[in-house]
Amino acid sequence: MQPIAEKNAPQSNDGKGLSHSAPLPVGSGSRATIRDFRTPPAPAPPPHLDDYQSIIGQANLDALRFLAEDLKHKTVKMVNSTAVGGGVAEMLNRLVPLLTELEVATHWDVITGGNDFFEVTKAFHNALQGNDYQLTKHAEEIFLMYNEQNMRRMQFTEDLIVIHDPQPAALVRARKETCAHWVWRCHIDLSHPNAQVWDFLRTFVEQYDSAIFSSQSFSRQLPIFQYLFYPCIDPLSEKNKEIDEATIEAVCDEFKIDRSRPIVTQVSRFDRAKDPVGVIQAFKLAKKYADCQLVMAGGSATDDPEGVAVLQEVKNAAGDDPDIIILDLPPWCALEINALQRASTLIVQKSIKEGFGLTVTEALWKGKPTIASSVGGIPNQIINKLTGILVHSVEGCAYQIRYLLTHPEFARRLGENGREHVKENFLMTTNVKRWLLLFRILNGNRTESLP
Amino acid sequence: MSSEAIPIPQTRRPGKPFYFNTSEHLLRISREKANNLPELLEALRRCPAASVFQHTFRTLQEHHFIRQGFSNDFAQWAISACNEPALAERLAGVDVREFTSLEDLRQALVSILEDYVGQKPGARAQAAHEPFYFCIADIVVLPTSFAPDTLRGFVDGLRQVSLHSIHHHFIEARLRLKLMSNDFSQWLLEEMQLPDAARAVNRIDIYTATMENVRQQIIHIVERALA
Repeated sequence: MQPIAEKNAPQSNDGKGLSHSAPLPVGSGSRATIRDFRTPPAPAPPPHLDDYQSIIGQANLDALRFLAEDLKHKTVKMVNSTAVGGGVAEMLNRLVPLLTELEVATHWDVITGGNDFFEVTKAFHNALQGNDYQLTKHAEEIFLMYNEQNMRRMQFTEDLIVIHDPQPAALVRARKETCAHWVWRCHIDLSHPNAQVWDFLRTFVEQYDSAIFSSQSFSRQLPIFQYLFYPCIDPLSEKNKEIDEATIEAVCDEFKIDRSRPIVTQVSRFDRAKDPVGVIQAFKLAKKYADCQLVMAGGSATDDPEGVAVLQEVKNAAGDDPDIIILDLPPWCALEINALQRASTLIVQKSIKEGFGLTVTEALWKGKPTIASSVGGIPNQIINKLTGILVHSVEGCAYQIRYLLTHPEFARRLGENGREHVKENFLMTTNVKRWLLLFRILNGNRTESLP
Repeated sequence: MSSEAIPIPQTRRPGKPFYFNTSEHLLRISREKANNLPELLEALRRCPAASVFQHTFRTLQEHHFIRQGFSNDFAQWAISACNEPALAERLAGVDVREFTSLEDLRQALVSILEDYVGQKPGARAQAAHEPFYFCIADIVVLPTSFAPDTLRGFVDGLRQVSLHSIHHHFIEARLRLKLMSNDFSQWLLEEMQLPDAARAVNRIDIYTATMENVRQQIIHIVERALA
């Protein structure tokens, strides 16, 4: 099975996505946009490898093809817990067609389960990221029962089996009946896991040949090899592709953003972990000395009562300041997010807690000077004063907004370096390359650790 | 004698072509981790040579676009996580191109850390803002479609290969060659008898230029030799 679910929705950096909650954007105006952002656009077909040539160059494409050469008769299975929605499905929707185009036959399977299973795995997910949780025997049994059911339903005839995230981790119990190499790809932050849940999960993780983490700081001490795969963005997606000036202008007109004045933007769900109120405080401090507008673009999940409350807190903090533009966007507004990021003078990501921080990656890719908190995977992306600015407080954020607005040459250099950093490390094509390298290594192809 | 003084006949053929290769790598997270400077020192003493290589030579490739202020991961951590600018400056001053042995490079870094920690006991207890995670790169060397046997073809290859290829031949090569040189200079010297161009290429400063700048400088030097 190869689920193809092009989603075209803005995704937040923790993969939960931006959700629409009424009302539609504060500040949405009457002037026509290029398309109506209130309805989802038709999904675009996934790009082909050659479509990336103008971005990464022929030499880098050739390297991918060389790497794939020895893998042409190998087969790969990817297994995760959802075909639609979330960062993992979005990534697999791009990765699987590209690997297939490189003639590395890649199959994508999705596990099934009842509500009880997904309630347990959601609790595991949160506990593994540090939340309090009391693991019960019943929860363990539900987890194992559904993994067992899926194990019986699936066939593992491929050469390489890649299991994504904790939900299907126990499928590894099928490995003794296979000749495959098994890899566990962990997309979540395991730096401070709930000990009970991790102790339970690690008994399965240790049965894999290797594990993959999104940041060094998310990894654990394990008796198996651990690889580092940074999350990535697709430069050809709606959210990241090049767009023309007219589209940017139309989106800014729609949301009544004045492009003749500096624009500072944070793109995030309305979630306290993203510190949206802190952003407004920093903006108000900065605005005393530097003329600018603040755009807060995001969504508050309709199924998340806290999101609605946070949006209200943000509106309260903004007060009647006409220079603070709060946009509560539907989840399919990837193109609008793209335009807003490109229209921005500076991008801010003042999170208190963060996964990898893909909104930072998106900003850097667009060459935008970016100010972000030093949390989660953000320090992997922002090398302070070289590819962006790291801050630790409202005051620090406010000062850096002022500084970058008044030092455009320095800001421009940060933006240029940031884009190159993404090009080298955080693009979908780099992700494809990492998978090919890993498959070669597991396949026994010669590698070195020294030149 | 400058290379401009010796016109190079276009028919000159080297004994062997220049085979442009490239290298790709996958990062492995190793067991060593440091939460402060003494732990960094201890881990640096015992980590595999491949980790020393990753955090010095390889990291230059990963950050090839930075012109100023980035030298190696140890120096970067000393300033960003430990707020020790004097130590960071000294570590950043270690030029990988002066080393053909990773053990010598390790010793140079260890000496700086020993000296600094010894002279500044306060730095010993101070916890870093974030840990230093040692990594190792699993490297795959790949061919490219460029194997020129003329200077013009060489310039054409230089223009078209990836920056990873430039890094592979220009920076990592000295560990392979065990010479204070690089693949480009060696070929210009041994196959094309262009000692001045070879020397000029070897003198390009990788710490004040991006890898793209380095590529352009090499092309400029070779084109001057062609003129």
